[in-house]
Amino acid sequence: MDAIEKELDRLTSRANLSKSIKDIDRCLQMLVAARSTIEADPSATASTLQSLEPRLKAGFHDATENLKDLHGGIGKYGKALDKKFKHTTNENEFDALATQQPLINRAIAMHLLREGNFDIAETFAKETGHGHTVPSTLEAEFKEMFYIQESLRQRQLGPAIEWAAKRREQLEARASDLEFQLHRLQYLVFLFGGGVDGPKKAIEYSKTWFRPFQAKYLSEISQLAGCLLWRERMTSSPYADSIEKESSWQEIVDSFTSEFCALLRLSAESPLYVATTAGAIALPTFNKMATIMKAKKTEWTSQNELPVEVPLPDKFKYHSIFVCPVSKEQTTDSNPPMMIPCGHVLAKDTVQKLSRGASSRYKCPYCPADSLPKEAREIYL
Amino acid sequence: MTTKSAATLSADNNLLLEEPLLRLPLEVLRKLFKSSQRYIENDGKKLTELARDAAAKAPQVSPETSLESLNTMINRMQTLKRKMEDLHEQEKAIHFQSRKRVSHLNDLHSLPAIMDSGYESWSKIRLDRFMVDYMLRNGYSESAKLLAHKQGIDELVDIDVFVQCWNIEESLRNKKTTECLAWCAENKTALKKIKSTLEFELRLQVYIELVRERKLKEAVTYSRKHLSGSFDAHTTEFLRASCMLAFPPERPGPYKALYAEGRWDHLVKTFVSTHHNLYNLPQEPLLHVALAAGLSSLKTPSCHSTLSTRHNTACTVTSLCPICSTELNDLAKPVPYGHHTTSWVDHDLVVLPNGRVYGTKRLADLAGKLGLQEDKIRDPISGEEYEKTEVRKVFIS
Repeated sequence: MDAIEKELDRLTSRANLSKSIKDIDRCLQMLVAARSTIEADPSATASTLQSLEPRLKAGFHDATENLKDLHGGIGKYGKALDKKFKHTTNENEFDALATQQPLINRAIAMHLLREGNFDIAETFAKETGHGHTVPSTLEAEFKEMFYIQESLRQRQLGPAIEWAAKRREQLEARASDLEFQLHRLQYLVFLFGGGVDGPKKAIEYSKTWFRPFQAKYLSEISQLAGCLLWRERMTSSPYADSIEKESSWQEIVDSFTSEFCALLRLSAESPLYVATTAGAIALPTFNKMATIMKAKKTEWTSQNELPVEVPLPDKFKYHSIFVCPVSKEQTTDSNPPMMIPCGHVLAKDTVQKLSRGASSRYKCPYCPADSLPKEAREIYL
Repeated sequence: MTTKSAATLSADNNLLLEEPLLRLPLEVLRKLFKSSQRYIENDGKKLTELARDAAAKAPQVSPETSLESLNTMINRMQTLKRKMEDLHEQEKAIHFQSRKRVSHLNDLHSLPAIMDSGYESWSKIRLDRFMVDYMLRNGYSESAKLLAHKQGIDELVDIDVFVQCWNIEESLRNKKTTECLAWCAENKTALKKIKSTLEFELRLQVYIELVRERKLKEAVTYSRKHLSGSFDAHTTEFLRASCMLAFPPERPGPYKALYAEGRWDHLVKTFVSTHHNLYNLPQEPLLHVALAAGLSSLKTPSCHSTLSTRHNTACTVTSLCPICSTELNDLAKPVPYGHHTTSWVDHDLVVLPNGRVYGTKRLADLAGKLGLQEDKIRDPISGEEYEKTEVRKVFIS
């Protein structure tokens, strides 16, 4: 990048149009001066005009010469770019998404809503002629999400608690403790931010709101009660972790967002963001693959699976993946993972190949146990 | 379980999609340079001529007349200066913009790893840029402008270039060639350099339209003026075009292809690809490139599986996969799924009586959160409850 910056410096400081403009200005001044001379002394007209042509010629010559500097500067800057971006042209000539405009539009529209850019989303919908099918309720849903997030950032727990209470069953089915965590935070807000009356308010709050959670969160509730005694010396107390912190607000916003999206059956982070980021990380591998395939003039052997592994950071892994240790194939709907009686797992195709017939016993490739093919059972990872 | 080197960030590898960011301004700079060269050359020639004329005539005419011609020269000079200053302003704007872009790329170089939170915000800006690029290429320019402005990335996107391109595209779609021909004239030398046939194709289309309307005389005149010059380079097309005069559109005979409406689409495509070529822009939106690679590398056989768990909101521990999410699910259907050579599963797997497999810790965490009885566990996906004694260990190698 340094070389590029150096050439860019050259362009701003020296290799630009300013010098040629000065030359032109000099010519202009000369013409204006000539006019004054003639106006003052008409008898000098002929001699003054005579001198103009060669001087103009010289002036324009200078201007042209100075343009060469600019030309050179642009050339050098271009070379610096060439050096930095060596073989960056995209090797995949086939644009797989060229015909997918409506679906891409939908992904963008949903991303805009999710980011809270409602006005842009509206313009986008108009410009695309509503040519994408974003669920019509989604805008209202995300507006609610933003309203609640904003309230949380302003330390207002009310809207979030109301939202969570309405969806208690769904949240419980997800084993989410969001509702309790919201109440817990409210309790701590009263306890530590309520001034002299703090403890009283906190106790009243806990009496009203903790009741439905007693069975499940007993130990946490008793810890919270313990905080009452240690209120003045929380940092040295056994409950130091419970104090309301800056980060606990961020955590509750994140946890709320993730639950909210999950109930809409959407992932918590924008899929468009995750996919483009993963794509940018994966691209070097893809380009290398394309180069090799071009050089060897080969095609993919399996159309629905990539031929090489793309190294992505662990956070980009969302599903369990099972690769059969014998066939080295990833399991799919038609070739699912099977557990054999000894507890080892193989792909269905592998079991069939190993056994050579439904009634013949075969040995597990990983331990001495043998079994019949029908004893293998499908598992869901 | 761990992925080697995947988390380390190679900034240079991440630059694959960033080249147009600096290439395009460079091409604009080249264009500016060419314009300035043309101005200086033309006006220099004209002004020295005027000076020579004035000097030659001076002895015969009155000083007033001489002054008048001097004033003409001064005016012309002033106009030239103004035009040059105008270019200089644009030049400065491009320098400023390129500097911003370089510093944006430098931000990436200063990041230590992909897991760094700085990478996330950098990548978010990149997505915004890609979306603006996509919108501009598809003519959604108002959305593009709003988004660029809202995210404060005006210096990182090229609205003007794409809007101009789109306007010419639209004029071609409306069967008007004027704008596109003007663009060709503006870029004459560059087009010649890449041996572009765009201008010939456009001229041919004008001719075809004249023939279609049976304005044969005009067509012949037009052909003489604009097509005959390209006879050597386009002999076959030229001959075919001449012969089509004898075949009216109702009975096109062998000239159906020349009369075809599809030629206009072809012109649009040719123009766009020539335009992008000239500006060193990739032919497809950057979003397509990144997205196609991303969809494939994230996709697993589970994402479109009929047994998939995705329609169950009770999927607790793992966050919902982006490919399974509504936004991308349909889009990812035609792309291949990622290749893996090793299994990727939780530690200490157990199988429940219903055949579902989970990590021991995940089940224990869930049971704790749900406040289940000591000897019970619950399937996080199906919701079924089992005795702890019913689960079995699974071995995945």
